[in-house]
Amino acid sequence: MIDDVAANLVPLPVLLPLLGAALSLAVRRSPLLQRVTSTVALTGLVVVAAILVVVTDRQGPQVLWVGAWKEPLGISLVADRLSALMLLVSGVVILVVLIFSIAQGQEDDETDTPMTIFHPTYLVLAAGVSNAFLAGDLFNLFVGFEILLYASYVLLTLGGAEQRIHAGTTYVVVSLISSSIFLIGIAATYAATGTVNLAQLAIRLGGVEPGVLLVLQLCLLTAFAIKAAVFPLSAWLPDSYPTAPAPVTAVFAGLLTKVGVYAMIRVQTLLFPESPLHGLLMWAALLTMVIGILGAVSQSGLKRILSFTLVSHIGYMVFGIALGTAHGMAGAIFYVVHHITIQTALFLIAGLVERLGGTTSLDRLAGLAVASPVLSILFFVAAMNLSGIPPLSGFLAKIGLFHAGIEFGTPLSWALVAGGIVTSLLTLYALAKVWSQAFWRPIAETPAPAEVAAALASGSVGVPADVDPATARTTVLTETPSTSRAMPPLMLAATATMTAVGLVITLAAGPLFAYTQRAAADLKQRTPYITSVLPPEVRR
Amino acid sequence: MVQLLLVHLVAAAVAPVLVRFLGRNAFLVLALAPASALAWLLSVAADVRAGNGPVQRVSWVPGLGLDLDFRLTTLSWVLALLVTGVGALVLFYCRWYFTATDPTLWRFTAVFTAFAGAMLGLVLTDNFLVLYVFWELTTVFSYLLIGHNPASSTNRRAAMQALIVTTLGGLAMLVGIIALGVRHSYRISEVVAHPPALDAVTIGAVVLLLVGALSKSALVPFHFWLPGAMAAPTPVSAYLHAAAMVKAGVYLVALLAPAFAGAPGWHALTVGLGLFTMLVGGWRALRQYDIKLLLAYGTVSQLGFMVALAGLGTREGGLAALALVVSHAFFKSTLFLTVGVIDRSTGTRDLRELSGVGRRLLPLSVPAVLAALSMAGIPPLAGFVAKEAALQAGLEAASDGVPFAAAWGWLMTVTLVVGSILTVAYSTRFVWGAFARKPGMPLTPVRVPHPGFLLAPLLLGVGSLLVGLLAPLEHPWLLPYAQQLVRGAPPALLALWHGFTPALGLSALAIAIGVGLFVWRDRVGRVQRAVPPLVDGERAYARFMRGLDVGAVEVTARTQRGSLPFYLATIVFVFVALPGMAALLRGSVGPVRLWDTPAQAVVGAVIVVACVLVLLTDRRLASVMLVGVTGYGVSTLFILHGAPDLAITQMLVETVSLVVFVLALRRLPTRFERHERSLRRRLRVLLGIAFGASVAAVILVASAARHVVPVSIDFPEQAHSFGHGSNIVNVTLVDIRAWDTLGEVSVLVAAATGIASLIFVKTRNTRLSTASEQAIAPTEPTRGTWLRGGRTLRRERRSVMFEVVTRLIFHIMIAVSLYVLFSGHNLPGGGFAGGLVAGLALVVRYLAGGRYELDEAAPFDAGLAVGIGLLIVVLAALAPLAFGGTILQSAVFDFTLPPWGEVHLVTSAIFDMGVYLIVFGMMLDIVRSLGTGIDRQISAERRAEAEV
Repeated sequence: MIDDVAANLVPLPVLLPLLGAALSLAVRRSPLLQRVTSTVALTGLVVVAAILVVVTDRQGPQVLWVGAWKEPLGISLVADRLSALMLLVSGVVILVVLIFSIAQGQEDDETDTPMTIFHPTYLVLAAGVSNAFLAGDLFNLFVGFEILLYASYVLLTLGGAEQRIHAGTTYVVVSLISSSIFLIGIAATYAATGTVNLAQLAIRLGGVEPGVLLVLQLCLLTAFAIKAAVFPLSAWLPDSYPTAPAPVTAVFAGLLTKVGVYAMIRVQTLLFPESPLHGLLMWAALLTMVIGILGAVSQSGLKRILSFTLVSHIGYMVFGIALGTAHGMAGAIFYVVHHITIQTALFLIAGLVERLGGTTSLDRLAGLAVASPVLSILFFVAAMNLSGIPPLSGFLAKIGLFHAGIEFGTPLSWALVAGGIVTSLLTLYALAKVWSQAFWRPIAETPAPAEVAAALASGSVGVPADVDPATARTTVLTETPSTSRAMPPLMLAATATMTAVGLVITLAAGPLFAYTQRAAADLKQRTPYITSVLPPEVRR
Repeated sequence: MVQLLLVHLVAAAVAPVLVRFLGRNAFLVLALAPASALAWLLSVAADVRAGNGPVQRVSWVPGLGLDLDFRLTTLSWVLALLVTGVGALVLFYCRWYFTATDPTLWRFTAVFTAFAGAMLGLVLTDNFLVLYVFWELTTVFSYLLIGHNPASSTNRRAAMQALIVTTLGGLAMLVGIIALGVRHSYRISEVVAHPPALDAVTIGAVVLLLVGALSKSALVPFHFWLPGAMAAPTPVSAYLHAAAMVKAGVYLVALLAPAFAGAPGWHALTVGLGLFTMLVGGWRALRQYDIKLLLAYGTVSQLGFMVALAGLGTREGGLAALALVVSHAFFKSTLFLTVGVIDRSTGTRDLRELSGVGRRLLPLSVPAVLAALSMAGIPPLAGFVAKEAALQAGLEAASDGVPFAAAWGWLMTVTLVVGSILTVAYSTRFVWGAFARKPGMPLTPVRVPHPGFLLAPLLLGVGSLLVGLLAPLEHPWLLPYAQQLVRGAPPALLALWHGFTPALGLSALAIAIGVGLFVWRDRVGRVQRAVPPLVDGERAYARFMRGLDVGAVEVTARTQRGSLPFYLATIVFVFVALPGMAALLRGSVGPVRLWDTPAQAVVGAVIVVACVLVLLTDRRLASVMLVGVTGYGVSTLFILHGAPDLAITQMLVETVSLVVFVLALRRLPTRFERHERSLRRRLRVLLGIAFGASVAAVILVASAARHVVPVSIDFPEQAHSFGHGSNIVNVTLVDIRAWDTLGEVSVLVAAATGIASLIFVKTRNTRLSTASEQAIAPTEPTRGTWLRGGRTLRRERRSVMFEVVTRLIFHIMIAVSLYVLFSGHNLPGGGFAGGLVAGLALVVRYLAGGRYELDEAAPFDAGLAVGIGLLIVVLAALAPLAFGGTILQSAVFDFTLPPWGEVHLVTSAIFDMGVYLIVFGMMLDIVRSLGTGIDRQISAERRAEAEV
């Protein structure tokens, strides 16, 4: 194991960003060096992840027992097909968003996104995300979550504006509760089995009586469902994401909820293969999809609309997980990959829209198609992708899930397919409204600034009169007016890259889907993971 | 065939560039794309007729059954000819339709060409999923084309309406496709050749497919989107909404008819709705004044007609449907293009404003009249041939032995006659409206168009005539499709003259009454106004969408309250309801030992009382202190369990937390808002208790379930032999689970950065200001220089005693912290605890001497300490790799160092030093932010007040 080079690559996706963060703190007075450090560290992350994808696909899971401790004493880091794929996709997203933020940082004065704070924290976030994907240990998974959460607390409240602190409070408190529940789940799991190593748990949980197993499973799923924003544990998300700086929201939207989804996939397949919770999860998936997308339909701010579509589409992934079949898992994994890229792209686009239009409120945005044809093409392609319009990646992802749902063949799974259809259509509706208002509508039709100011003052902008005032307040808070700023070419290029990744997924869908199928087969089989982590004598 | 699609794709991609260099002439170049496809289609005509058309497969996503399968059959070949032929002509026509100055041409050309490609792909593919891909692409491109001029809100709404309605149908169809695919096959040819058994799922799938077809072809109840889509530029209407896209539904019905015409519900959906639509469309067309809208409703009517014929499922019906598709493509595109020319030449499309245009524009009106005659089904035009065949099919079905089938046949025959009457009437209305010289009306001024503008309608109009005259020649090319169908007799030859048949009689009757309707149009109009609209899809759509918007807002207002307590209550409730209830109902608890020593019970009781008091107090400071009590209580419990390491760390953390709270509380009111004693509060208390009980239940149930030895049983022995330390806790932290520690210190790095960023906002690299740099107030006596920074404080805040003590113990504390750091491997302590002690030393310095004293004590910024600490930790993790070890592997060095003698150095100590530095840096950040930072804010506010 020690001589195995590939195994020693496994911790690098965590260590490289941490090294970068350390250097970034050390060279804190030179913005240029900070930029170089971050870019190099994250490029390294992407390269390592790409190598891991190839290696795990050819040679099976790569395992590193940190510190060379005798199994199962220490902590194992495991890269299997699923982890490696998640690392690669998240690495690409993190790198592209970094470039976007660098461009934004160069362009703007630093009040909105102070870069000396941003760089080290962002790298710590990257390390946390990677750690979560690699953890072969339930407690280390928790640590991974904590790293990314603390970094996210900082990034969410960057600049310390009042609305960000307000939103940050919701986010931090909910995250703390979810972490506590996760910790309780870990404690209970250790109490029942005497281990936190995932592979060993997979074996030992087999001997735990079903009732206790159910308790453990529900604890962990509740914790992950909060992080993944599954209804009814999702309401925190649209209230906390939209206020952050554009690149921060983009990377959060792309990655953080997906870490929760990843954790759900991992424990559902590895620890609880005989899950009795199909029905519960299917209901959760259905409600998440439908109630989430109704939220998107009800909003009039671009970032809030996107936040609701984010919640809603988590439902698709839970759909695949709930089915629990190999097809369902493959579909869910493919959907995760698709959704990470496209949701990030859309939030970056929202950032550019905000720069160009000076707001993300649909009541005031107009004429963007004329103002920037490039931006409008990007938005249109990304919006169609998210809505699942063929031949884009969202469509392919949906086919996989619907296929699995119909194959499953129960009334509830048919209901999920129907819910998926409705959600797809309403996503299209919500985004077409954005297109129609912000891009197509001529500027002449927008209300004059004076009217807007009056409407803002009276609190009537953004929500119909009969909405709860609490929601109304957040909506207006989210959409404070600002002025139009230039779109630097580098920001546009980063956004275009992110949108193009969606197209690459479409073109490479054949190999990619085959890969997710192999990953799902591994997950269902469980043996590749367990045997590569534990030597035969420890598998008891 | 993929190549043909690629040609279109490339053409669409370069279209904006072409427009830039060639202007409107780009259309002429782009027309080559469909034209080349047309040429290729003609070249393989013989193969297709012989039944072995080309087949092609390009693998895409085999895992999903999604491969680019293409296959040319008679049906797809005929439609492909129409799509490419009309497409090329319309592009040619566009060259003159658009003005040279149109700034959106780059967009239009690209989308239009891409649409042509998608439409071609739709009819060529042999895979249902790929069919859906192109199907939706045509929907999306159509959306963009309808919204070509988005300045008017009507156009935007029409585009949205078309998008939503057709996508809804499309998605239904997708479910049907997947249901067929999962259980049978995605290959169209395979499904058609070997249809699956008609069980409930298959029938459902077929119905869903039909829903897609009906929505695309604008049948009732989806018909309303098509007239709305007339917001598009006229060439778009001619191509998408007459010749090509809307035929996709007819195509799909024709495609499925050989396999599923016998399925329950099939005839009701296709023949029933088709015929109904024919009547509704025709009736509405009679009412229109805008000649484009008149044609649009006419199209709705004709589409219903085609779907009904294709759905009939007999050979005669199939042939008639195909013949009608061909003739419709010719006459309807001619007529739309004509409308475009009229619009451009006169500036109006309102038949009440047009007069005498026909004679002024003879090259236009002649082909247009031919097309209108074809539409009306007048010999010798193509439309007549198709309608004869259709009537023949109806009559044949009516004589079917099966009563049910015969009923559909009769219905068809009768409705066809009525529909034809309406068609004749609105065709006449069109010709009269567009071209006639109306008595008492001034002649409409006409700008004579460029001959190129007239070429496309001329060719297509003449085509209507030729296809009619040469119908028998057309017959064998269409026949192979009809032969695929299983029911009915072999169809009669397509021809103008079959002798005096009942069909001919019905035709003559329809023409006569139709002309009558036109002649008495005023009276008809009065009747129409008196009859309320039978189906108002548009209003239903609008009402539904409004309901959707309102419903969405209501649902969201209930779930998305914007209230953190509500969200927390939800989470807690879910925990109680799921794991909590599961533990209660499914778990069993083993024997519970309440305590090991009564002291634990006492401490526990103190903690509980403190918790309850926290809830009752309304003073912030008191609540912070009480929370502190719970922390110290837990720490005491650790001691009672014999865990000094945990106890020390917990104590230190608790102390630091108190300091942090107290520093931060300076800026907050002393009391919370008064708690209301409401029902809601009581519910929350109950929920909280339930949550606590659930957690306890979960842990009890889980503990009772253990039947294996925990991994930690090996820790003591291994920690000593492999980790080279006798303090298991420390070895666990820096070695066994050092990876966790690495993660946790990164958490601290983030937290430290975050605290600093909240206070200093932009950067924590603020300029330090030590006391020595400060101008010290001359009034201040020079005594009491124990702490240099102390002199900067106001007198009432100074305490000489505190300064003296601080001076004495600061260095001792630092020394202790280092001792704790280095002794940790074998005795209680370690880097984390050491760092906290050092940090507390800083706190003491700050409290005694103020912010300048802090900068005296630590004349560097915290980021540096944190950064170097993290660097040490990461490098210590990586270093073993250089020596052939694995990450975070530790080694031990024993050597003699003169003053100390034997040194036993475990490399993990270096890791621990990094931890120490990070914790120290974090403490510095805390004190500097919450201490110094807030001090500055306060003094800034004071100064501001003083100025006021």
